[in-house]
Order: sequence, then C-alpha cells, then structure tokens
Amino acid sequence: MGKLTLLSGNKAVAYGVKLSRVQVVSAYPITPQTPIVEYIAEFVAKGELKAEYVHPEGEHSAIGAALAAAIGGARSFTATCSQGFGYGFEVIAQAPAYRAPFLMAVANRTLGWYWALASDYSDTMTARDLGWIQYYVEGCQECLDAVIQLYRIAEDERVLLPAMMCLDGFHISHSSEPVNIPDQAEVDEFLPPRKVYDHTTDPDSEGYVFPVLPAPLHTPYRRMFEEVLHRAKGVIKEVTKEFGERFGREYGLIEEYRVEGADHLLITMGSMTTAAKRAVDEARSEGVKVGLIRVAFYRPFPAEEIREVIEREGIASVGVVDRAVAHGTRMGPLGLDVLSVLYNINGRVPVTNFIAGMGGDDVSVSDFRGMIGKLIKGSCASGGCVRTVYVEHKPPQMRGSVEFKDTVYAPGCQLCAGCGATLVTRHVLRVIGKRSVIVFPPNCVSAAVAMHFPSNWIGVPCVLANYAATGAYARGLLRAYRVRGKRGVKVVAFAGDGCTADIGLQSLSSAAECGEPILWITYDNEAYMNTGIQRSGTTPAKAWTTTTPVGTVWRGKREFPKDLISIMIAHRVPYIATASPAFLRDMEAKLRRAIGIVERGEGLAYIHIHSPCPTGWRFPESKTVEVARLAVLTGAWPLLEVDHGVFRLTVKPSKLKPLKEYVGMQGRFAHLSDDDIKEVEAALESNWRRLLELHGKKLF
Amino acid sequence: MSEELPEIPLIRVDTLWSEPTASWRVLKPVIDPGKCRKCWLCVDFCPEGVISKSEEGPVIDYRFCKGCGVCANECPTKAISMVREV
Repeated sequence: MGKLTLLSGNKAVAYGVKLSRVQVVSAYPITPQTPIVEYIAEFVAKGELKAEYVHPEGEHSAIGAALAAAIGGARSFTATCSQGFGYGFEVIAQAPAYRAPFLMAVANRTLGWYWALASDYSDTMTARDLGWIQYYVEGCQECLDAVIQLYRIAEDERVLLPAMMCLDGFHISHSSEPVNIPDQAEVDEFLPPRKVYDHTTDPDSEGYVFPVLPAPLHTPYRRMFEEVLHRAKGVIKEVTKEFGERFGREYGLIEEYRVEGADHLLITMGSMTTAAKRAVDEARSEGVKVGLIRVAFYRPFPAEEIREVIEREGIASVGVVDRAVAHGTRMGPLGLDVLSVLYNINGRVPVTNFIAGMGGDDVSVSDFRGMIGKLIKGSCASGGCVRTVYVEHKPPQMRGSVEFKDTVYAPGCQLCAGCGATLVTRHVLRVIGKRSVIVFPPNCVSAAVAMHFPSNWIGVPCVLANYAATGAYARGLLRAYRVRGKRGVKVVAFAGDGCTADIGLQSLSSAAECGEPILWITYDNEAYMNTGIQRSGTTPAKAWTTTTPVGTVWRGKREFPKDLISIMIAHRVPYIATASPAFLRDMEAKLRRAIGIVERGEGLAYIHIHSPCPTGWRFPESKTVEVARLAVLTGAWPLLEVDHGVFRLTVKPSKLKPLKEYVGMQGRFAHLSDDDIKEVEAALESNWRRLLELHGKKLF
Repeated sequence: MSEELPEIPLIRVDTLWSEPTASWRVLKPVIDPGKCRKCWLCVDFCPEGVISKSEEGPVIDYRFCKGCGVCANECPTKAISMVREV
C-alpha cells in the first residue's frame, strides 16, 4: 500500500526513477532540476538503486548518453531544463527517430533570452513539435506517478517514443507535498522490465536504426511518426486507467474539474492549475458557472477530449492560460492549439488567451478570479472573437540604497560569507581595471551579478555567455573592438572550473589554438558550486560532492582531477599560470604579466586560481585563506607559471606539509581513512617531484 | 525609442548601487588598536573588500561586513576578535 511521506517534486521524481528500476542515469547539473539527480546519486551510492551513473561534461552529452543507453536496450533517464535543454536540443530533436524509449524530466525554467531561475514553458515548448510525448504535472504525487506510467507508455510496442515529464521549476520541483510512495512489488507488477526490441542496437540484434533517410521518405516518415504519436493516446488511456485501478490515482490525457453545467471554461497546464481550481471553487460558490480543464498530456495533443467537453457542456467562452508565448502570433502555444480544436465546432466559441507567469512570476488565485471575470464580462463575448490578455504584476523596487562612483568593485554581492571567489574576483578586478569587458559563463559570480539587477557590484561591462560558448563570446567581442579601433580593451573570460574543464573546454581549446589574445581566468572551487556542489572535472579524488556521495557503494569521487595546466601546455599558449588567494602578490604579478601578453596580442593567457568554498568544501567560513594557503603548502595546489614555454614554480616550499593538515579541515574529506589520505598524498608528492624536475625547463 | 516600446534595462558602469549585507552577520570583527601593527593583511584578505586603511589603522565598513571572520583568522597579532552581536 506504500507509505505516505513529505516529498519535494524533485525527490518524488527520484523515487519514481528508483521504483522504475532505471538502469542508466546520465545528467548534468542545472537549477532547478539538480536535486533529482542528486537524490538518485544518493540511492546509487547507498546501493538502493543498482544503476549505471554517467557524469558527462554538459547537457548535450548528458541527454546523448541517456538516448544512447536506450538505443542500446537499457531503461534510461536524464533530467534537465532551460539553458541545458537548449544546449541538448540537437539530441532532443534526433531522439524520436531511434524509436528508443527513455524518459527526460524537465524542471521547467525560462529559456534565456533574459535569464530567470523559475518556471515558464519557454524551454519545453521549443520541443513540442518534435515527436516526443510531453506530460505536464500539477503536483508532487503526480511527479512520482508520472515517471512510472511514462516508462510503461513509452516502452509499449505500439509507441516506442521518448517521453518528457515536465514539472514547474521551484513551484513543483522545490515545493513539498505528502506523497504516497508505492511498494516496489506493486510497481514491479505494473511496470515489467524494459523489453529488448529487434531494432535495439547491439551485435546480436536483427538490425539497427541509422537515422538518415532519402528525401522521398521524409514526408511519409513524418506521417507515420505522427500516426504513432496519436496512437499513443489509446495506450495512454489504457495505462492511466490501469494505474488508477492499481494505485487509486487516475490521471488521463486531460483532467476535468467542475465542468458539469459550466458556461465558461479555463484551460490550464502545470502547477498554476491548483490556484485556478481554488478560483473556480470560489466563483462556483458565488453561482458563477465556470469549470476547468487541465491539459496533462500536451503531446499528443488531446484535441478530441477538449472538444468533447466544450460541446457536451455547451461552453460559451473559453480562457486558455499559457505560461509561454509563441512570439509573432500574438498568442501562446496552448492558445493556438485550442483555437485549432475550436475550428470545427459550430457557432464558434470566443477564446481569451491569457499569458501569465512568465519567468516564474506567481499566478495567484486572485489573478485567476480576474481572468474568470474577464471571461464573463469581457468584450470577447461573440463567436469567432479571439483576444490575448497579459497578466502582469508590478515589480518591487529593486535598486540598492548605497551608491558607489567610478569603481571596478562595490561590496554587497550575494555570494556567501567567506567566499573564496569573492576575494579572487575583487583582486582580479583591481588589477584588470576599468578598460575591460568580462565574459561570464554561468557560475556563482555571474549569478551574483544577475541577483544584483538592476545594478551590478562589478564596475565593468559584463556579457553573459552561454556556457559552452564562453571562449567564442570572448573572441567575438575582441574582434569587434579590433574593427572599431578600440585600443587597450581587455577581454576577460571569467569561468569556473565546470566551464573550463567540462562544458566550455572545447571553446577554450579553440580560442587557445587560434591564438586569440584573451585573458582566461578560471576560478576553481573544485565542483559545480552555483548549482550546489556537484562533481566537476577538477573535483579532487575521493571528495564528497552531491553527485559523488558517500555510501556503502560509493566513497566520493573515484577519479583524479583533470590537469588543465597540461592541457594548456599542449596548446602552447604564451602564458599559463596557477594562482592562490593566499598568495596575493604572486597572483597580482601573474595577472600583470598575462595582461601585458594579451595587450601585445601574443595569444591567450590562462590563469587558474584556486577558490576555496566554505559551503561546498564544508569548512568554517573564517578559514578560506588558511585553506588556500595549506593547499599550496601541501602540494595540493602548486603555484607555477609557464611563460612562453618556460616552466617555473613561483612558490617553492622546501618540504611539503602533511596532506592531513589540509584535508582534515574540510568536511568533504571527512570519510577518508588514513590510507585514503596516504594514497592521495603519494600522488601529490610524485607530482611535486615531477614539477621540481621541470622547474626552469623550456617545455615548448 | 518609441514610447510604447519598453526601455531595455541598461546596467550602469559609472555608478553602482548595493544594498547593505550587515544583517547577514552573527559575529562582528572588532579591532584592538593596541595590538594592531598595521600590516594590512586584513585589508588584503577581506573577501568583501570592506576594510580600508587609515592613519589610525584598519577601518571596517560594517554596512557591508558579512562577519565571515577571515580577517580575525589571518591577523598575525590576533588584534581582531569576533564578537557575537545577535
């Protein structure tokens, strides 16, 4: 019968994945989806879910690995949203062609354009016409239930398509509700293991899908896939009915709410539906005949089901509430879809398309009361009338009260107390000065810039680059200043370790290889800290992170960190250095040397700065500089430079301190045994001996 | 730009506005001028950059000090103590 417990939407998804016995999980952190894959990592680390867990370098690969796992015959899962969704779009578009069912959870978030953290459907609506099944949940219980049902639907032989489960970012992903977690045995009975089909790709299969077609087959294939997706409606009805019989919770293609005898009808999707239902209840109690349809399955679109309600109840006016805009049509995507439904109804019903809740703006019960009021009294009362109404709220006063003039840096950013990155940023700004433009990929520092809107705490212009294109944004700016004859403008890429080592590595590599005179600063806090401490390519061996948790099966990160300095040496860029906020004079000298090199146009200068994070590394916030210093003195963070190929250690302790002094201060290493520490210490000592041998040598 | 069109929100570079972060603080750094040798390490290492130099010694801008305690931890003469204020 399961057990009732309080779960966030994200955690409910993770439980759904666990109960569905997913075999391969592949994901990259992005707010507000990340807790899903963190909870799944916990299940795997503790041995509660036996699944392969892939940590790719970005969403393009994360979704790619999940799709490929499905092509290879495993039950696979991934999760993303927003910018990550956009970055993975190419894979998303290709996925249906393979007829390889898998599930992607999307914690909906605005797709920038202007960035925001919370939900609207500008991300998933871009994929509404690609042949995926799309399901939008209203609450946390539905998150768990939808995962299980969607695997059953997607893997059905009559369907075999990828499925997207959309939960509103924060409104559902981070809100908690009582959720019934079914027993594993009940779920096993409902959801059999993933079948291996004839077209599953392995050397023993009958054949395989290679997704390329000659032109004359594209139109018929589009027709056939469209038929398959529509046929899925029958499967959805069967599966949701059976789920209802077994678990007592039935969801259909649409949910009807108080539509009996209604004159007016609201059509909604997602979490805002709950507020809409309360508004319907209030209006009904006052005698207003209004009902509601929630579109649960958006693709395949439940056109017949919506039309049936409108005709059956003789609806006089329809209000469609969209959390997205189909720019250039004056409407939202759901509004357009509903219009197409109404075309065939005699004596056309007037439609009001409300655009609400963009960027995560709350849509309240009183907003819905206003919408219902507009349906009753509005000018749009006659047949054939279509209008769009934007539900807008006044923003609060946002500008800070203390003014700073002509400075590169002002205090008051929203980064944590004791943040190493704040210390690094402010010294970097002091040295690079006003004649600079900073290119920011997403990271803690740029998030703090965003949070400062409509001002900034950084007194030079900042450009928000897409993660994987950071190097390219820097190159474009640089070329523009060159053609405009703007002299002495420093273009500074200010990236975290996740961007540099993982998702942005190829754009950095290309800029380096092409000799672009960019100053690339990596501030390395050794994990994805902006999304909340997930493993990155530079996370040290054995460190706890939320995606390399410590349990009976996992003991922190298994691998040693990626050696970015060697990678840059391989690119033969004119200046490469590491730096530490505990050695500020050393850092400043390196920054000045790098600036000279880029100003002379010699090529890319790369400075990799250690950036202790009290929150993520779990040490007291007063110890930031002490931790940074110990990293240098124990050999965990050697200070070096490679100036036009000549290697030099710039800080050379005569003897390394015991590593225990450094790792012992940090909670992320609390699970390490003495043997574990010795193993890492031996690797660091061997690296130190190698660096001592290189000292003074010309490497290229 | 036409009046009906929204103004693109421009972020100024010549003037910055910040909201004080003093309310974040649990512990407040207090400098003992008798112990301070004006080495200015606290000025360098304050992550927020809210300590400045003066004739009398370091001055803390308590409007923006988040109370992390890095200054007290780094002070070689232990001239800074963290005092509970809430």
